[in-house]
Amino acid sequence: MEKNKISNKNISVQYPGKKKEKTRRSGLMERQSRNGWFFIAPWLVGFVYFFAIPLLKSLYYTFTKISITNDGLQFQFTGLQNYLTAFTVDPDFMRAITASIGSIIYQVPIIVFFSLFIAMILKQDFHGKTLMRSIFFLPVIISSGVVITILKENVFAGSAGQSVTLFQTGVITELLVKSGMGMPVVKMITTTVGAVFDLTWRSGVQILLLLSALHTIPDSMYEAARMEGATEWETFWKITFVLISPTLVMTIIYSIIDYFTDYSNKVMRMIVTYVNQGKYEYSTTISIIYFVIVLLLILFVDKVLSKRAYSAVN
Amino acid sequence: MTNGFKFKNKKAGDRILDSITKILRTLFLVGMAYVLLYPVLFLLSNAFRSPVDRLDPTVIWIPRTLTFNNFVLADQLIGFKDSILKTCTILVPSVMIQVFVCLMVAYGFARFQFKGRDVLFSFLLFTIIVPTSTIIIPLYVQFRFFDFFGIGQLLRIFNHGQPLTINILNTNWPFYLMSATGVGIRSGLYIYMARQFFKSMPKELEEAAWVDGCGTFKTFTRIMLPNVGSIVIVILLFSVVWHWNDYYLSVMFFVDNYPLSVGVTVLQDRLQLLTESMSAADIALGESSILEAACFVVILPMLVMYIFVQKYFTESISRSGIVG
Repeated sequence: MEKNKISNKNISVQYPGKKKEKTRRSGLMERQSRNGWFFIAPWLVGFVYFFAIPLLKSLYYTFTKISITNDGLQFQFTGLQNYLTAFTVDPDFMRAITASIGSIIYQVPIIVFFSLFIAMILKQDFHGKTLMRSIFFLPVIISSGVVITILKENVFAGSAGQSVTLFQTGVITELLVKSGMGMPVVKMITTTVGAVFDLTWRSGVQILLLLSALHTIPDSMYEAARMEGATEWETFWKITFVLISPTLVMTIIYSIIDYFTDYSNKVMRMIVTYVNQGKYEYSTTISIIYFVIVLLLILFVDKVLSKRAYSAVN
Repeated sequence: MTNGFKFKNKKAGDRILDSITKILRTLFLVGMAYVLLYPVLFLLSNAFRSPVDRLDPTVIWIPRTLTFNNFVLADQLIGFKDSILKTCTILVPSVMIQVFVCLMVAYGFARFQFKGRDVLFSFLLFTIIVPTSTIIIPLYVQFRFFDFFGIGQLLRIFNHGQPLTINILNTNWPFYLMSATGVGIRSGLYIYMARQFFKSMPKELEEAAWVDGCGTFKTFTRIMLPNVGSIVIVILLFSVVWHWNDYYLSVMFFVDNYPLSVGVTVLQDRLQLLTESMSAADIALGESSILEAACFVVILPMLVMYIFVQKYFTESISRSGIVG
C-alpha cells in the first residue's frame, strides 16, 4: 500500500496534472488522519483524564515524602531520593525485577504452548465437548474474582500464601511413598502435577482466545488441504499456525502482562507490602519503574512478533 | 477423488492409532476436568451440607441431608437480591458502552494512518500494564470532586471563584464514565484484542462501502461491526465476567449498597463477627458453609451464561463476507 503511494507520486511529477494529483492525495491523508482522531477521541479523553492526570499526580508523590499529620497529608519534596533508594539501597527490588524477567522467558512459552494444545483439543469433535469447554472456562470466572481468595483459605488451606499452587500434594505424596517409590521420584511427580495445576489455572483466558481464533478458520481450507494430500503436520504449520498467528501474538502479550501484574509476582507483592506499611510514595516509585520496564519489554516483543504475524492488510 | 475418501479407507494400523489417541485424549481431559472441577465440587458439597454433616467424618463428598439453609442464611446476612441487582445496574450499561467504545477505538488504531498513532498505541499498552491500584488515590479524588472533564474549572466565575464539582462516588457513574472513555475495567486489553482482529480483516470490505458513498462512521457501524463476529462475543464475555467479579473499584467507589462481589467479603467479615460473639457450640453452625454457598451464587450465573454464549463463537464465524 505504502509503496504504491510513493511510486504514484514519483510518476505524477513528470505529468502536468501533478498539482491536482498531489492535493487529492494529501486530502486523502488528511481525511485518514481526521477519521483516525475521530475514532480514538473517546479513548483520548479517558486516557488523559482518568489515566495520565492521576498517573502524573502519583508521579509527583514519588518525588516527595508523605507524612500523615493532624492537618492531613503533608508532602515534603525530596527530589530523586525515592528513586535512588530503589536502585542503590533497596537490595530486594532489583533482584526481584531481574528474577521476574528471567522467569517469563520460560513461563510464557510454556503457558502459550499449553493453551494452544488445550484449545486444539477442545476444538475437536467429541462427546461432552460443551461440558469440557465450560469446565475450562472456570478459571476465567473464578481466578478473577473474590472467590479465589476464599477458595484459597478454605479449599486449598495450607498452600495459601505461596503462589497459586492450587493443589494438595499431601495425600498423593503419602500414597506414592506407601506404594514403595523413592522420595526423589515422588517429589518429581508431585512437583510436575503441581505445575500442571498451576498452569491450568493460569491459562483460562489464553485458551478461550485461541479457541475462538481456531474457530474463525473456515473448514473449507482444511478440506482443500486434505484434497491436496497435506499431512496433519503440514496442515498445522501452513494453515492453522499462520491464520491464528495474530491471536498467538496477542496471547503471548497477554501472558506477559498477566505474569507481571499478577499479585503472586514478587515485585507486585513488594508494591502491595509497601502500601500496607504506609510507604505510599516508595510503593509508587517502584511500581512506576517496574511498569516502565515491563512496557519496554512488551513493546519490544510486540514489534518483533507483529512483523511475523499474518495480516490481511500488508 | 480417492484422496477425498481417505478417512473411510483407513488402514488397520491407522485405526488403532486413532483409537489410542482417542483414549489418551479422554484420559487427559478427565484429568484436567478433575483439576478444574475439584474446587467447585468442594464448594458445592459444602454449600448444601448441614452443620451435622460437616462435623461427621464419614461424610466425604455427598452430604446425607441436602439443605438450602446455608443459602437462606447467606441471603439474610447480605441480601442477594439487592446486591445482584446492584451488580446488574453497573454491569449491563457499562459492558454495552465499553464494548462499543473499545471496538470504535480499536478500529481507529487499526485502520487509519495519523501522526503519533504508534506513540499513542504504546500509551494504550501502558494503560493495560499499570494496575488501577497505582493511580487509585488521585483517581478517587477525581471522582470525589468531579469537574466534568475540566469544564467545572472553567465555570469558576459562576460559582464564587470555586471550581464547580460534584461528588459522584457511591453512584454507578464512575463505571459508566470510565467505560465510555475507553479506560474502564480492562478496556485497554479489549482495544488491543479488537485492533488485532480489525487488522486481519480484508480492506476490500470498507473500500467497497466507501466507493458506494458510505461515510466512515456508517461504514464502521454498518459494515465492520456486523462482520466482527467472534471477537465481539469474546470481548463481551470477558467484559461481563470481569465486571461481575470486579472487587477493587467497587470497594473503592461505593460506601454502601455494595455489588455482589464485595457482598461476599462483607459476608465473610460479618460471619467472623458473629462467630466471635457466639458460644463454642453455635460455631458448629458451620459458618464456612454459608460462605461457600455465597461463593457458589457468585460463580453460577457466569457459568450458565458461558454455556449459552459459547455456542455462538464456536458456531464457526466463517460467514464474515470475504475470507482473508
